[in-house]
Amino acid sequence: MSAGSVMVSTTSIHAGRAGSSPSPALQSIRMQPIPFIAAKQIVVKHHYLHSLPGGTKLAFGAFVEGRLLGVITFGVGPYNVFSLVEGTCPNDCLTLTRLWLSEELPPNSESRVISVCLRYLRKYTKLKFIMTYADPAQRHVGTIYQATGWLYTGLSEATPKFDIGDGIARNSRSLAQALGSHSLKYLSERGLNVKVLPQIPKHRYIYFLDQDYRNRLKPTTLPYPKKETDESR
Amino acid sequence: MKAVDISLTELRPAPWNPNQMDETMMERLRESISRYGLVEPLVVRKINNQQYEVLSGNQRLEVVEEMGCLTVPCVLVKLDDTRAMLLAQALNGLRGEDDLALKGALLKEILSSVPENEILSLLPETTESLKSLSLINEMDLAEHLKAWEKAQAGRLRHMQLQFTDEQLETVEEAVSLMITKAKEGGFDNPNTRGNAVFLLCKFYLERRNLE
Repeated sequence: MSAGSVMVSTTSIHAGRAGSSPSPALQSIRMQPIPFIAAKQIVVKHHYLHSLPGGTKLAFGAFVEGRLLGVITFGVGPYNVFSLVEGTCPNDCLTLTRLWLSEELPPNSESRVISVCLRYLRKYTKLKFIMTYADPAQRHVGTIYQATGWLYTGLSEATPKFDIGDGIARNSRSLAQALGSHSLKYLSERGLNVKVLPQIPKHRYIYFLDQDYRNRLKPTTLPYPKKETDESR
Repeated sequence: MKAVDISLTELRPAPWNPNQMDETMMERLRESISRYGLVEPLVVRKINNQQYEVLSGNQRLEVVEEMGCLTVPCVLVKLDDTRAMLLAQALNGLRGEDDLALKGALLKEILSSVPENEILSLLPETTESLKSLSLINEMDLAEHLKAWEKAQAGRLRHMQLQFTDEQLETVEEAVSLMITKAKEGGFDNPNTRGNAVFLLCKFYLERRNLE
């Protein structure tokens, strides 16, 4: 998954710190691990990106009364993303890569689901921080990350995607897997025509599971971006 | 609506039917029909005095023809061409969606009394998907994360490198020369080639330090 991927797919986003005093309806959402095969099936069908990124490490389901009504996944994320925090290694972080919740879930479910997952990740793993991205192209500013207390670090670098002629937009990691290298110069010298597909930067958020690492964040934290309104557009 | 038995010689598949089934699914359909029979009537319309067009059940028609059936139960509808196409699309497309947790619970119950190979001969699942889905509602988040964390701690690190053919030949030669020593053991790493590369690097560094 490139830094450019957008993570949240919901029809309505509800602001508010749902994690702090969840309603009984929100408390009825039970988070459980689910097999990747199930996560993939749901994400491919319902998430607007229709794909589960390679490098997915954890997949949790949102269950209500025995029904699976949502999926959240965490994966390796963009290459070198760990280097945003001084003194960390790739295993210190994960990226929240996909979130899809059914409309049947109550308002503020997104915040509740994220809060519960972060709490468990903090308690049961040694992960230091979690990254996530919101796609301005989808008019997302990351409202749910703002509601759950993530730090905003501005727009990410717009890493391009690549088309090797089959119409599939690959990130550089997938390009290297397909052709053995992501060096455009090397590929071009060998007659391989790779089309560069420019991407737009994404809003980047970070959540520290280990507060000791908070001061090691290299980028400056910025005020939350505001959602465009019809008046301000 | 009542189903009526119609002779196979009078039934025609709809030439405009976009619904296709690959051979694996056809095999499962054959298995289902031979095991349970044709439990759902076809939906047909009369197109002339002697012929009926199948709006729903074109794959089943193929299977019952192979099986040598003489008649099949059909529900007869009276529709013009485009309305017939529309109904066929509605019958193919208007289906609910399985809730994977409920499906998992169902599969678990089926698995408790039906052999796995029988299930796999009928359902579009694999051994892995069957096992995964049947356990979907039974995993505990805390236990899962504890196990995941433990697995991360013991996980071997991967290093991906790219070589030209010529470079790879050299690297392979060096690694194969070092493999014998790597096989002698004494490493935490069970990957012999990884150990061989490690020994080569160590050898280089020690020699470099001496220089």
